[in-house]
Amino acid sequence: MTPVIQTRGLAKRYRRVRALSDCTITVPEGRISALIGPNGAGKTTLLRLLAGLARPTAGQMAVLGGTPRQDPAFLAGIGYLAQEIPLYKRFTAEDHIGIGAHLNPRWDAASARDRLRSLSIPLDRAVGRLSGGQRAQVALTLTLAKRPRLLLLDEPVAALDPLARRNFLATLAAAVADGGLTVVLSSHLLADLERVADHLILLAASRVQLCGDIDALLAEHHVLVGPRKDTTAIEKTRTVVQAVRTARQTTLLVRGNAPVIDPDWESDEVGLEEMVLGYMGQDTPPPIAHLTTVGEDQ
Amino acid sequence: MTWLVWRQHRIQLLIGAAILAVFAVLLLVTGLQMASQWHSALVACTATHSCGDQGGLFLGNRAVGFLVIMTLGAPVLAGLFWGAPLVAAELETGTSQFAWMQSITRRRWLAIKAGWMLLAAAVWGGVISALVTWWSGPNNALHLDAFNPGRFDIMGLVPVAYALFAMALGIAAGTLLRRTLPALAITLAGFIAVRAVIALWLRPHYMSAVTVFYKVTAGYTPRGSYWQLAQGILGPDGRAISTDTVGPVIAGVPATYLPASCAPPNAGAGPIAPSCARALARFHGFVTYQPAGRYWTFQGIETGIFVALAAILLTVTAVVLLRRDA
Repeated sequence: MTPVIQTRGLAKRYRRVRALSDCTITVPEGRISALIGPNGAGKTTLLRLLAGLARPTAGQMAVLGGTPRQDPAFLAGIGYLAQEIPLYKRFTAEDHIGIGAHLNPRWDAASARDRLRSLSIPLDRAVGRLSGGQRAQVALTLTLAKRPRLLLLDEPVAALDPLARRNFLATLAAAVADGGLTVVLSSHLLADLERVADHLILLAASRVQLCGDIDALLAEHHVLVGPRKDTTAIEKTRTVVQAVRTARQTTLLVRGNAPVIDPDWESDEVGLEEMVLGYMGQDTPPPIAHLTTVGEDQ
Repeated sequence: MTWLVWRQHRIQLLIGAAILAVFAVLLLVTGLQMASQWHSALVACTATHSCGDQGGLFLGNRAVGFLVIMTLGAPVLAGLFWGAPLVAAELETGTSQFAWMQSITRRRWLAIKAGWMLLAAAVWGGVISALVTWWSGPNNALHLDAFNPGRFDIMGLVPVAYALFAMALGIAAGTLLRRTLPALAITLAGFIAVRAVIALWLRPHYMSAVTVFYKVTAGYTPRGSYWQLAQGILGPDGRAISTDTVGPVIAGVPATYLPASCAPPNAGAGPIAPSCARALARFHGFVTYQPAGRYWTFQGIETGIFVALAAILLTVTAVVLLRRDA
């Protein structure tokens, strides 16, 4: 099956700033992919490239089977919500639903109204007079009402309170479960997305550190705890992602499943957060991290 | 998309329509008054055979007359209030990101938005021009000044072209600068600069002007509402003389150039002395002008220039908007 998103060597440069470098990722259909990375890592740039709002300076990408382009059929398949939650401040939610109905082929006005009513968000009040969280809900509702095949959400839950956050993610998971929808949602906090995401794209310093199925990635990573000693032997068979050395012991985050023979080292499972933080701490990815995509049937 | 354009700009458009309505009422009321005033003046002068001298007649209302002259600035209002914010306000508030992620291409979005606003600008310029042209009928008949700068610019076709140009300029400035306020400033400055350059330096040369030489004793006035570009007196040596004097002037020639026989009180009192007539015969008057018959040709040329400029600006806007990252 063709992945919904496939990029190779994608790069974006704004004048002298590299916003994204050598980005190679694959997202299969039906996944909820968490796009994680510190502020300024290139998450927004990647999403904007995928949505066709910006053009790459290098590399190739296929989104929904084609290059992002100005074409109504392509645009109809993409739902993109920018971080700034752009809405017409003086228009009501109902006005926005009207705009969507006029500009989209598969517009689901009824479910948009239902969703907003269930959140007790007034449909007839100018969105500029709604609270920040309510505005975000309106924008998300409108993005879902477009019934896209690929949903690209830039920090969608940032403006929501914890309850609304959970509620929104549940809506998202249900929409994906119904089939035909793939989601990429960015956040700089993994905890936001951990509950629903089954796929991970980790960006740091404008590069892809990890991309793949979360379970497969976790199975590939281990924490090794051992005495303070030379780690050359381990580095021969595995990639050391992060090494923390104290006076008494060394803690290594390693990638690769080669068995550890040296009895001095104790191998442990790694948690998602631990793994992600390990990668965020460094600037250049280990050689294999950006060349292979784990856990995909390609 | 048309629905969105209307929903977004209906307040602006309704305000524009209200201004047009008020303006129309003012001009209709005073215009009808003026027409009847002019008609009775004609009846009166025909009775006394004095229709050649109507210089002292004043038609209409000074305030409305001033308002009519102010319509020189009306076209740029379309560019300022409708054109400059059209794209800039969306880029500024980010709503363009909402609009562009609906199932509509940016090209179509711009075409429909700009198309309707250009139509609105044309209606704005056209209605004002139609009212002003009708209202000025009696005054043009009286002063024969329809071709003069300042009058030419507020009547006929050109106000429509100016409004289209102002709108295109506003849209282009807003798109390039991405911010409404600087776009407003550029639209205003650009409109005034382009209008001034074309009206002052280009318009007189749309067709080569006609120059007529005449005997100063006979005098000469071109027919109808001509546009006078230059006028003067050539001396016996064929060079223009200065007619700028506070002293007495005989048949347009300052008395200092003429023999004493021409000097007052001799002059004007009776037939011109033969020596004076001989002296005057060596002077020639000239007038350089665009004949009244070229009025609509000039309107057409100027309209063409501004419509072409508008087309160029809109092309640049489209290219920039489609090429640039959103």
